[in-house]
Amino acid sequence: MDRVVALGDPDYPERLKQIHDPPARLYVNGRLPAEPMIAIVGSRRATPYGQRAAHRLARDLSELGVVVVSGLARGIDAAAHRGALDGGSPTVAVMATGLDRIYPPEHADLAQAIARSGAVITEAEPGTPPLPGRFPVRNRIISGLSLGVIVVEAAQRSGALITARMAAEQGRDVLCVPGSIENPLATGVHQLIKDGAKLVQTVEDVLDEFSELSRARARAQARVHARTRARTRADSGPQDPQLLAVWELLDWVEPRHHDDLAAMMNLDIKEVNRRLTLLEISGYIIGDCGAVTRASRD
Amino acid sequence: MVLARALSGTVFGLDGCRVEVEADIADGLPGFHIVGLGDRALQEARERVKIAINNSGFEFPGRKVTINLAPAQLPKEGSGFDLAMAAAIVNAAQGRGLPPDVAWLGELALDGTVRPIRGTLPIIAHLDRLGIKRFYVPAANVAEAKIATAAPVIGVTHFRQLKAHWDEGARLDESPVEPVTSPAPTQHVDLAEIFGQPHAKRALEVAAAGAHHLLLVGPPGAGKTLLARALPGILPPLSQREAVEVTSIASCVGMLPAGAGLLDVAPFRAPHHTISAAALVGGGLAAPRAGEITRAHRGVLFMDEITEFRRDALESLRQPLEEGRLAVARTRGHAVLPGRFILVAAANPCPCGFAGDPRRICECTPLDRQRYRARLSGPIRDRIDLQVLVPRQPAGELLRSTPVAESSAVVRERVLRARERQRDRRPQGPLNGALTGPQLRREPLAAAGQTLLEAAAERLQLSGRAIHRVLRVARTIADLDERPGIEEAHVAEALQYRESG
Repeated sequence: MDRVVALGDPDYPERLKQIHDPPARLYVNGRLPAEPMIAIVGSRRATPYGQRAAHRLARDLSELGVVVVSGLARGIDAAAHRGALDGGSPTVAVMATGLDRIYPPEHADLAQAIARSGAVITEAEPGTPPLPGRFPVRNRIISGLSLGVIVVEAAQRSGALITARMAAEQGRDVLCVPGSIENPLATGVHQLIKDGAKLVQTVEDVLDEFSELSRARARAQARVHARTRARTRADSGPQDPQLLAVWELLDWVEPRHHDDLAAMMNLDIKEVNRRLTLLEISGYIIGDCGAVTRASRD
Repeated sequence: MVLARALSGTVFGLDGCRVEVEADIADGLPGFHIVGLGDRALQEARERVKIAINNSGFEFPGRKVTINLAPAQLPKEGSGFDLAMAAAIVNAAQGRGLPPDVAWLGELALDGTVRPIRGTLPIIAHLDRLGIKRFYVPAANVAEAKIATAAPVIGVTHFRQLKAHWDEGARLDESPVEPVTSPAPTQHVDLAEIFGQPHAKRALEVAAAGAHHLLLVGPPGAGKTLLARALPGILPPLSQREAVEVTSIASCVGMLPAGAGLLDVAPFRAPHHTISAAALVGGGLAAPRAGEITRAHRGVLFMDEITEFRRDALESLRQPLEEGRLAVARTRGHAVLPGRFILVAAANPCPCGFAGDPRRICECTPLDRQRYRARLSGPIRDRIDLQVLVPRQPAGELLRSTPVAESSAVVRERVLRARERQRDRRPQGPLNGALTGPQLRREPLAAAGQTLLEAAAERLQLSGRAIHRVLRVARTIADLDERPGIEEAHVAEALQYRESG
């Protein structure tokens, strides 16, 4: 159900009122959640690693009752929304176009799923097409709604960095997920870290930063034991020595091809493939039709 | 009225047809007419036949000559009736009939030389079934004709030979059949010549053993074409029946080298991605003519850059992938052409080609990639059981000396044994690559394999069709392993050739 929420209305988001140029009215499809929000933003041309990181952080935050805000764009934004939906809490998508003009169009289904539990919002009039000037303005709403902004993969001079700058101007914390030093999409993020942004590895790193998230933090602690056990298990590799031998040759980020493994282990490709399937099914690795990486805990 | 009949034949689609050539010589204004649905080349036969007759020691009758080609409703193409027309005319002119159980095939040159024609094999095969007892064919087509008949085949090099035969009763002997060797398959690549790539090579072996279709994904220059060219070399030799089919097709499209006999090597066809749908399935204005799909019958159809093919061309693959044949309709009738091949498709991982390459950053948006992938439609993907990533080979790696890879001959032995096991199970039935769901369910599957497959379906979110693909491949891997049932290790290996998400 589309609604219009004006600046004076009681259900206008509290935090958004505090920025210096709050939107006069918001067009809302769905229901704006009252729970604390964290923004996750990043490149549209994200790497598989960046998308995994965004998906995982969003899911973990969502599982702990935190609302994830993002911009419904391709790449990191979509991964964050999908992760948040997996986690079970509502998520909020802030668009630069009118509510009737979902952009990019292939995210129409995603927008619908978001509006079912959370909200798709915009300050643009219905019918507003995707205009380049609209996107930076939209970014101030993403950071304005949130306690802080997590940046995952952003090249220098990218939209995600604009959001980070706005967040800082609005007094919001900026947190960063680091990438590979060889990845050009990580340069912007790494610059932010050098400038003093907090480096984020796990959901706990995010929760520690905000006193408003203390309840989520308490919930997280309750799970920490089970989690740690699962993680140590995944981090130290499989028990089976045959599988461990393969796993030890794999990287967390860089995919390795089956051929390389066969050569490094001096093993028949049939046997390499058999072991890779067993590793894949028990969740130790992620395969992509011929190249594999280690899987982070799951 | 003077009339003579000579029997000949033509092809429609890939089937031989009987054509009766009637020559009538009547009083009237001197002239030469051909009736009976002939094409342009046939109309031009008038000049060829007339001059060839005059240059072979006969005299073309200075009266009204009419040639009728029966059955009149069958469209007739080409120049294969020249010899029959000339035979009918000169015999009619002398008031002599021709024996009804003899057939004449061949094109005439102006000096009376008999030139080879297309489609000899299917035409002779058909006429042989109709009980023809003696064949006169161009000398270059004798070997091909002998494949199709046990009756005497006389190779004619010049029309003059027949003058001596008819006028002086000279004997025309049956041409001896020299043992013919098929031309060596020069385009085939031996697996031993390909550096590294064990994963892709194993996929080729599985594809050959079970006749599975294969998709090679990799950046430009990774060696996908080389791998595809190695596939015919590890396929089993063609059976007698298959070889006749392949030779017939080659004969009809004019790809059979002059003097060649039975082709027993699997064909390899690699159409360029700009090919039209008509050229792929078979064109021809009036009558259907075999296209690339049919030319690849019993062999390999390699489609490099498959996503760049025209959409209608790609969709035309659906019927042959499902049925092993295709129906082609043209203005003058339709034909069912054979098209049972192993498809080897090659594609870049994404529009820019760098996705999955650890050394390069892929610049494509997810939407770009999605669109690129969507160019290969679901029904075609569903038929491709094997998919492998072919990585770019670092230059340094290529120069380094390494242990010698297995040769094609060694791999082919394993493929042969795996094929035998499939034939033992299903003497008439399909190979593993064409097994249906119900057939797969009847294959013995070890409990551990079943458990693994269920876990994989859950964990990797495999669709029902994807599970069938894995099972088909696992069945072939078990055959290569010479095991009666599918075991856990076979399922585990098969899962690595699945389509990536």
